Amino acid sequence: MTVNVDPPLVLVADDDPDILDLVRYRLERSGYAVATATDGAEAVRLAGELDPALAVLDVMMPALNGFEATRALRDDPQTARIPVILLTTKAQEEDVQEGFASGADDYLRKPFSPRELSARVQAILGRR
Amino acid sequence: MLEALGIAALTLAVLSTIFLVALVLRRTSVAREERRRLQAERRLRSLALDIVGGEEIDVSGLATEELAILAEVIGRLSRNLSGDARRRISAYFAGTSAFATELRSLGDRRAWRRATAAYRLGDMACDDAVPRLIRSLNDRDADVRSATARSLGRLQAHEATEPLLLSLVVGVVPRAIAFRAILDIGATALPGLHRLARSSDAAVRAGAIELIGWLGDASDAELLVGAMNDSAAEVRARAAGALGRLAEDEGATALTDALDDRIYFVRLHAARALGQVGEREAVPRLLQQAREDRFEAARAAAEAISRIDPQALLAAAELPDAGPHLHEAADLLKA
Amino acid sequence: MSYLHDLAVFLAAVTLTYFAALNLIYLAFTAIAWRSLVEHLRARGHAPDDEVFTSPVTPPVSVLVPAYNEGPTIVESVHSLLSLRYPQHEVIVVNDGSSDDTLERLKTEFDLVPVRKALRFLLPTAPIRGAYVSRRHRNLWIVDKENGGKSDALNAAVNASRYPYVCAIDADAILEEDALLRVARPIIDEPEVVVAAGGIVRIANGCRIDHGRVLDVRLPRSRLATLQVLEYFRAFLIGRVGWSRMNALLSISGAFGMFRRSLVETVGGYSRDTVGEDIELVVKLHRHMRERDERYRIEFVPDPVCWTEAPETLAQLSRQRRRWHRGLGETLWRHKPLAGNPRYGWLGTAAVPYFLFFEFVGPVIELLGLPAILVWWIFGELSVLFLVGFFVVAVLLGILLSLAALTLEEHSFRRHREGREIARLIGFSLVENIGYRQLLAFWRFVAFFDLARGRNDWGEMNRKGFATIKEAPLPPT
Repeated sequence: MTVNVDPPLVLVADDDPDILDLVRYRLERSGYAVATATDGAEAVRLAGELDPALAVLDVMMPALNGFEATRALRDDPQTARIPVILLTTKAQEEDVQEGFASGADDYLRKPFSPRELSARVQAILGRR
Repeated sequence: MLEALGIAALTLAVLSTIFLVALVLRRTSVAREERRRLQAERRLRSLALDIVGGEEIDVSGLATEELAILAEVIGRLSRNLSGDARRRISAYFAGTSAFATELRSLGDRRAWRRATAAYRLGDMACDDAVPRLIRSLNDRDADVRSATARSLGRLQAHEATEPLLLSLVVGVVPRAIAFRAILDIGATALPGLHRLARSSDAAVRAGAIELIGWLGDASDAELLVGAMNDSAAEVRARAAGALGRLAEDEGATALTDALDDRIYFVRLHAARALGQVGEREAVPRLLQQAREDRFEAARAAAEAISRIDPQALLAAAELPDAGPHLHEAADLLKA
Repeated sequence: MSYLHDLAVFLAAVTLTYFAALNLIYLAFTAIAWRSLVEHLRARGHAPDDEVFTSPVTPPVSVLVPAYNEGPTIVESVHSLLSLRYPQHEVIVVNDGSSDDTLERLKTEFDLVPVRKALRFLLPTAPIRGAYVSRRHRNLWIVDKENGGKSDALNAAVNASRYPYVCAIDADAILEEDALLRVARPIIDEPEVVVAAGGIVRIANGCRIDHGRVLDVRLPRSRLATLQVLEYFRAFLIGRVGWSRMNALLSISGAFGMFRRSLVETVGGYSRDTVGEDIELVVKLHRHMRERDERYRIEFVPDPVCWTEAPETLAQLSRQRRRWHRGLGETLWRHKPLAGNPRYGWLGTAAVPYFLFFEFVGPVIELLGLPAILVWWIFGELSVLFLVGFFVVAVLLGILLSLAALTLEEHSFRRHREGREIARLIGFSLVENIGYRQLLAFWRFVAFFDLARGRNDWGEMNRKGFATIKEAPLPPT
């Protein structure tokens, strides 16, 4: 029997438990392990501790919002290379630009399609 | 006199006791029901996720109440979803009697029931509800209208664009809700908005223009530039805002011209938009506005320069006649 | 001798009528409040706050914080204000010439840098010494000025504010995370019509608070504070819901209210010569809109949003109530033309007369009436039975009203989760009617003399600072 490599860990942060459930459901079925956080500060902390392969962050979160959390991850050499996908309801031009300016790799608008999120996760992780 | 008082005292004592009892009873019953509900929800949540995730699930074994809770959980999840997940939800509800029930309840006597039905229909993601919902935009109860507008947005019913915008302008649906609904409808609302942008009513034109700014793209710039010459100041201002949001160079000339508009809030929005577009040629004109115009318009100009050409701002702030807004913007740049 | 007799009879009659009328009014309001709250809750179920949060047309708000010697609590307060859930807001703290280290603490904590901020000078204020912005939080501004009092500080904040709506808040009040969202809701729904909205203030004593957020709602240990909790339910919840329904809301709590800025400027901002500057502003707004015959509303938002420290000693409570009563008197006096005037709608015909007679003059009647009734009894024209019966009825009615308020709160917001707490509140509702109310009446009575003497100071309330819990250890992952 072949030894299974640990499935890649994806960190998901959102203050809405429904989103966490939906994303976790889809990602676990796509073969990833999932860790969750309910605010930006917790997300940054967990990222430092668990060293996930990728982080999916909601923009509107308490403590640190998605942009601030992304910046925090980029500022810390330990977490700087973790790719970030932002989930945002506000999709106007400025916010998308701010998202990329803070260091995110991709963004997804809410309401979202879990399948599409999974595809994007795969795309990013596949490249590495 | 005394008997009257005595009776009053007795009545009050009885009423007090009733309230006390009601308080206690309600407290315990509500707590119990909540616990039960939460447990049921937890149980059914994974089922809901399975259904939404595309698994084939047989729900015939569930009791009616459980089905209702399941429907609620799925409905709540649907608010976050788009794409095939939402299509699956639509398919699920179409198969159940819940959809038909809610549709019928749009005609219920009680306003709160109609509102609840309107709201749930949005969650159920079934497009068949759209025509009936559009009619409910004219319901006599404000909550029903709001719930209807919201649901039409969730269903992305582009055929509801015009009635929604009109209801916004007239004021029968709160601006925030109608606006959000049209945003939710997305780009398919644009044809309807283009039509409304030619309305004879300035308020309708203004609303349509504003929404085009949110939903449109470069191909709408021409329309917006045209609207910068509208006779109504409100429309001109919104067109300026929209051009800024689209950030298309095509609007730069029109926006720069608008800095000379008679109405100060048009000048304000034009300045802001120029900052978003990044039009360097407008900087001298913006500097003048930052020095001379009314407070809000002057500040908008200073901030625009701060975005377009920080060096120019810092230089201008050193000059003797710079004025408070250039100073503030410069200090913020250096901070 | 017969004069005394006639006087006593007259006073007694007035007192009895007063009590009867007052309690009937309370009952009517309770009924109105029931209906209104039920509707409000139902509507809120359909439109969760999240949608307000994520809507692009939610107007930005400037949060105004007048601060005088708030050293111990200012940093925590500002942090919690910065982290309010709202799409776009700024926080403007006005350091009103504090003699303590308020400004220094802010400078240290928030990395402040001086900026030549452009100020509108529409509202006159004491001289401004400077302005600062936080490098880390670009939406945090500090305006440093010479001391001028709370109204003056608020007006300076209005001059410095950027956004079309302003939300004035006491530096020591704690806001719920969604407070801005909830209080902005009526304004967002009808921006052309609703010009101001206010929330309810709850009592924080006894609650578990961490980093400027109320984690756990508990009744205070102090008996006095518990009595105030009950009073807040009965008076705030019931009273204000009712008045709001009639668009005659006289007061948006000074601790927390949102206003359309342009209107605040038009009516001249907060008045500096009254201790009741918050009610005075609201009355000014009502008056302005009615005199212009413009369609408008000022709304009360019943959701719990704002918490404040209630006085726990008799001395502090007495000062507070006397100050409130003075403020009420000053406002009513200043806006005399409204009383009974149908031109001002329900505000003129119902609210102002109510507050004038039942709230302002009422305590006098309550206090003088009792001896008057006794005198009447001494004259033998009153049977003991009647007297006793009357008091029993009065107390029972009071208890009924307190219970009704409790049930209403329970039904609507269920903030007090423990059954034990409810029981305690029920017990206290008895005490409230025998003793507490009379004490309040006494102090408000004293306030008359304060007014006569022209007392204009605020009095100090010891800043205990909020008791915070240590950070909970991380759960093992």
